[in-house]
Amino acid sequence: MAETGATASRNRRTLILLLAPLTILLGVFFLIPLGIMVVYSFLEPGLYGGVEWNWYPYNYGRLIGWPLNDYEVFDPIYLKIFLNSLQIALMTVAGTLLLSYPAAFWVASMKGPRKSLVLFLVALPFFANMLVRIYAWLLLLRPTGFLSTLLESTGLIIEPLDLLFTNFSVIVGMVYVLTPFMFLPIYANVEKLDYSLVRASRDLGATNVQTLWRIILPLTAPGIIGGSVIVFIPALGNFIVPSLLGGSKVQMTGNLIERSFLQSRDWPFGAALALLIMAFVVVLFSLQFSRQSKSEGQGTR
Amino acid sequence: MKNVQNVSPCLMAIAVSAGLATPAAAEGSLSLYNWGDYISPDVIDKFGKEFNVAVTLDTYSTNEEMLARIQAGATGYDLIWPSVHMHDTMQKLGLLQETGVNKMPGFENIDPGALRSKEDPAADYCLPYAWGAVGILYNKTAIPELTSWQQFFDYGAANPGKIAMLDDLRETLGVGLIMTGASVNSANPDEIAKAEEFILAQKPNIGAFAYDVIPLVTSGDMAAAHYYVGAVLNVNQNPDLLGFVVPQEGATMYQEDICLLASAPNRDNALKFLEFMMRPDVSAMNTERLTNGSVNLKAIELLPVELKNNPSINPPPETRAKLQIFEDLGKALRVYTRAWDRVKTN
Repeated sequence: MAETGATASRNRRTLILLLAPLTILLGVFFLIPLGIMVVYSFLEPGLYGGVEWNWYPYNYGRLIGWPLNDYEVFDPIYLKIFLNSLQIALMTVAGTLLLSYPAAFWVASMKGPRKSLVLFLVALPFFANMLVRIYAWLLLLRPTGFLSTLLESTGLIIEPLDLLFTNFSVIVGMVYVLTPFMFLPIYANVEKLDYSLVRASRDLGATNVQTLWRIILPLTAPGIIGGSVIVFIPALGNFIVPSLLGGSKVQMTGNLIERSFLQSRDWPFGAALALLIMAFVVVLFSLQFSRQSKSEGQGTR
Repeated sequence: MKNVQNVSPCLMAIAVSAGLATPAAAEGSLSLYNWGDYISPDVIDKFGKEFNVAVTLDTYSTNEEMLARIQAGATGYDLIWPSVHMHDTMQKLGLLQETGVNKMPGFENIDPGALRSKEDPAADYCLPYAWGAVGILYNKTAIPELTSWQQFFDYGAANPGKIAMLDDLRETLGVGLIMTGASVNSANPDEIAKAEEFILAQKPNIGAFAYDVIPLVTSGDMAAAHYYVGAVLNVNQNPDLLGFVVPQEGATMYQEDICLLASAPNRDNALKFLEFMMRPDVSAMNTERLTNGSVNLKAIELLPVELKNNPSINPPPETRAKLQIFEDLGKALRVYTRAWDRVKTN
């Protein structure tokens, strides 16, 4: 008895030791900066960056468009930017989903080395710098670029096509950058799909659409939801794609945060914006986790 | 135990060799923190060889980025290159130290008109470095000759999406202020609102707010772009295709000064460098690379003809009179920030 007790406490000590580096890492590099951000978001911005230690809830007032002085009027531009970011992020999720879902079934049906090769190709873009890859899109999409020239030479269009610096080019760039993050979770799910259930559905007289809607979609839903969350979060905070491919005419909250910390020297407002995005993401995550634990609970019953 | 015994003689050997090697390599060191591509590498080489000093160069891309790093406690840098308004700000914040550069030999070469700092009117602290106008780079196939902002915006109205402006709140709202007849340093909310309205009215015609526009103007994807005078380097390489102009209505200008940080570890070498930079031959060598305006009157005489006679680099007095330099706005910057956020959103 005494010996097992000693083993248990030794095990616990080992566990604490093993977890200590991660705990310290998260504590020092995540919780403390987060705490600083929360505090800063309620302080007055310093004239040259930094903060003045005065209580200043106006940072959040500004988020919803509250006027600061007499010459300002109520104008919710920051909410507008946030809604625009949401819209672009959602369209990015839809675009990556449309590309990844059929592709996942196709790849799952492959065999042997061909499958490994395709999976390697999906991961390949991670080996090159993202900035370089986005610049390549700039060259493809501009009026004298590859796409426009190709379409002109085939006679499909007469005037050069100007795709660059539009909402469209931003979404193309985002979909391009984030597709692997959608593909991999869906693929992991599709690969495990039990095809006997699909055959059973057909045998029982379901049409193809019914089988897809009632059997395949619900079974692959965890992959779809997981992929959507992983794509949505970086899409919402991205600022490189809109500034390069959107010509900075398409504003996202990420651009606003970057500008608050640098050009406008307003750290507290940048912190408030960053916390807004974070709150949004936390809500999304908790929704997904509650859903997941519910469906797991059903499975064991 | 064995390992420890093996390691310690190694450490001692490293310590000894380091102690011996340093004085043999160079007399000392000097650490520069400058904008990217804003000093000729030949100048750095020449200084290093002549004074036997190991020079290191680190770069930044905005004044704010540099200030944020220095404020966050970055040390080890000696000399920095802030714009004049940032020079004022940093001096007010106590981040700079006096150099007495105005008493060094060679200071008589410096154009007195280049002493633009309000905090440092006699150059007790910093040395004026280079200046330039922010004008328009254009493609001559699209626009044979461009002379004014009005023509730039008219071209945009006829060819929407073919003009670009800088993604910089002060530069681009500054053009709005020039076009509505106000100072680019106005703190008057009504004037700023008019400038905002002006730029907003042009926004449907503006293809992009961007910095990386030289390739787009060269390829003809953009006809013209609001850009710094440094683009004259590209114009001179391709004079039949590209042009650069300081518009008739006026333009903004920038100037950087070389300043010594209060935390500088190598004050003596930094002072030698300031004196070195005032030599006409060194200054001219640097200007050839930068294609910026020179503040060294003796050096201007040494410049190659295509730079000396270029009206954008070395503008005639009537153009100079229409150039405005940015000043530190203090709290009024917040009015600009909001205006800019509205321009970008609506």
